[in-house]
Parts: sequence; structure tokens; C-alpha cells
Amino acid sequence: MEKQQHRLAFGTLVITSKLPDTMVHFTAEERAAVVSLWAKVNVELVGGEVLGRLLVVYPWTQRFFDNFGNLSSESAIMGNPKVKAHGKKVLTSFGNAVKHMDDLKDTFAELSELHCDKMHVDPENFKLLGNMILIVLATHFSKEFTPQVQAAWQKLTTAVANALAHRYH
Amino acid sequence: MLSAQERAHVAQVWDLIAGHEAAFGAELLLRLFTVYPSTKIYFKHLGVCPDEAQLLTHGQRVLQAVGVAVQHTDHLRAALSPLADLHAQVLRVDPANFPLLIQCFHVMLASHLQGEFTVQMQAAWDKFLTEVAMVLTEKYR
Repeated sequence: MEKQQHRLAFGTLVITSKLPDTMVHFTAEERAAVVSLWAKVNVELVGGEVLGRLLVVYPWTQRFFDNFGNLSSESAIMGNPKVKAHGKKVLTSFGNAVKHMDDLKDTFAELSELHCDKMHVDPENFKLLGNMILIVLATHFSKEFTPQVQAAWQKLTTAVANALAHRYH
Repeated sequence: MLSAQERAHVAQVWDLIAGHEAAFGAELLLRLFTVYPSTKIYFKHLGVCPDEAQLLTHGQRVLQAVGVAVQHTDHLRAALSPLADLHAQVLRVDPANFPLLIQCFHVMLASHLQGEFTVQMQAAWDKFLTEVAMVLTEKYR
């Protein structure tokens, strides 16, 4: 947390803490739920499933992947090597969010600009992808994915979605 | 409109829930209230912290209605008409909340079915519940 010095009238020095207004506050329990689960995630496997499910369940999202080859059926999508590779890339980036939960807007600033200026992705897709992450995590972690764990992860995916949308103009 | 295969997937998922509407309904509501606390405003009559008995009772009601929808995927409007009236005239749940409930439903199914919650099942169930939500809010204006 940045500290600022303000000299008020009569030479009185006041030091205040500058709270970044972009900070999302995670409780200790929420952090623990996120970090402990993430440690057990197979990023390659889960990444492919997450992106695959997005493209199948919400077929209009395929509009961003015209050059990915065969997306003509559910099995084609889930087995598509480009989908798997890109899913891994996306989820690896998400791992960065887990490491920087206090600083998401800065962490994703460059990616935000990229998604806006180069890839022209509707930010609504970030929310949809976040929902897919939760569903796939639930299939893997089953009863461990309690309502509280779900809530912590929902908070993180929402915050990441907001961070990715932050630099849109 | 659901295809025959989609209807089969919906029925397959319902096989898991049938007979256990209360337990699944309670878990669904608990997930909804925990993950999306603003949804609790529609359940003020259950108190600030609904207890297990209340969640079971109300959860059963919600899931039994879903069961009705599962039996009538070909004529949802007719089957859900009284519920649509209730939502339009009395409950007036903002339509934005239905996707939240649907997401919690998917997470719940995923945690119970694990690998068996295939992408086709998810797609069919999502399409089905979205249609149900549309019918329930259709008479709003």
C-alpha cells in the first residue's frame, strides 16, 4: 500500500495510506480456497476442457477462433489440438491471477488492451469463460468444491473478468 | 426447442435428481445464496440465515417445478403457466437472476456427476433451463 505525504496548513504533516481504488479484497479463507485448489489443477487438461466447453455450450464464441480448424461437432471441438493448446495458454494466464489476487487490474492491463485492440473480444466472454472454469473445477474436485469454495472462485473469476475489461475504450 | 438427443440428456440428468428434490434443492439454494448473496432479497421470508429445514422445504418446491418442466419439454408454456403468472405478478424476480441460478445448478450437477457431466449434458441442460427461465419471465410485460 502506497503512503502519501500531505503538508496541510500550518506545516502539519499528515501521512495517509493510499488504497488503490481498484483493489478487490479477498478474505484469508477465500485466498486459501483459491490457492489450495489451484495447486492441484492440471492446467493443460483443465484449460482444454474449459475452452472446449465454452465453444460447445456457447457456439457463438467460435467467432473468435475461425483459424482453429475443425469445430464442426462437440467431439471435434473437445479433441481439437488448437483448442487444447489455447485453453492451456488461457488457464496458465489465469494462474497469474492466483499469484496476484491483490493486483489484478495492473497484472492484466496489457492483456486487457490486447483483447480490446487486437482481438476485439466482447468482455461478456470473460464472464462466460469464468463460469466454465468453475464448472470444470467442480467436475474435478466434486464435494471439495463446496458453496464457500465456489464463492471464492466466483469472486476471483469476476475480478479477472473486470480486470480484462478495464482497459477497453 | 430441444432436439431428441438434448431431451435424452435432460432426462438422464433428471434421473439423478428424481426422488431427491429436497436435498438437491437445498444445495442449489445454499450455493445461490453463498455465491450470489444479493439473491437472498427474494427469500426474506426465510430469514437472514435460512436454516437447513427451510432450505430443504423451499429447495424441494423449486426442484419439483423443474421436474414438471422436464416432463413437459414440448409444451413448457402450458405446463409452467401458473408459475409464470406467479413470477410476473407476485415474485417479480429480476430476469438477471436466472442465469445465476442456472450457473449454480451446473456447478452442483458437475460436483455430483463429475466426469459424467459431459459437455453435451451441460449444453442440453443449459439450453433447457434457459428456456424454462424465458417462460417464467415471459409474462413480465
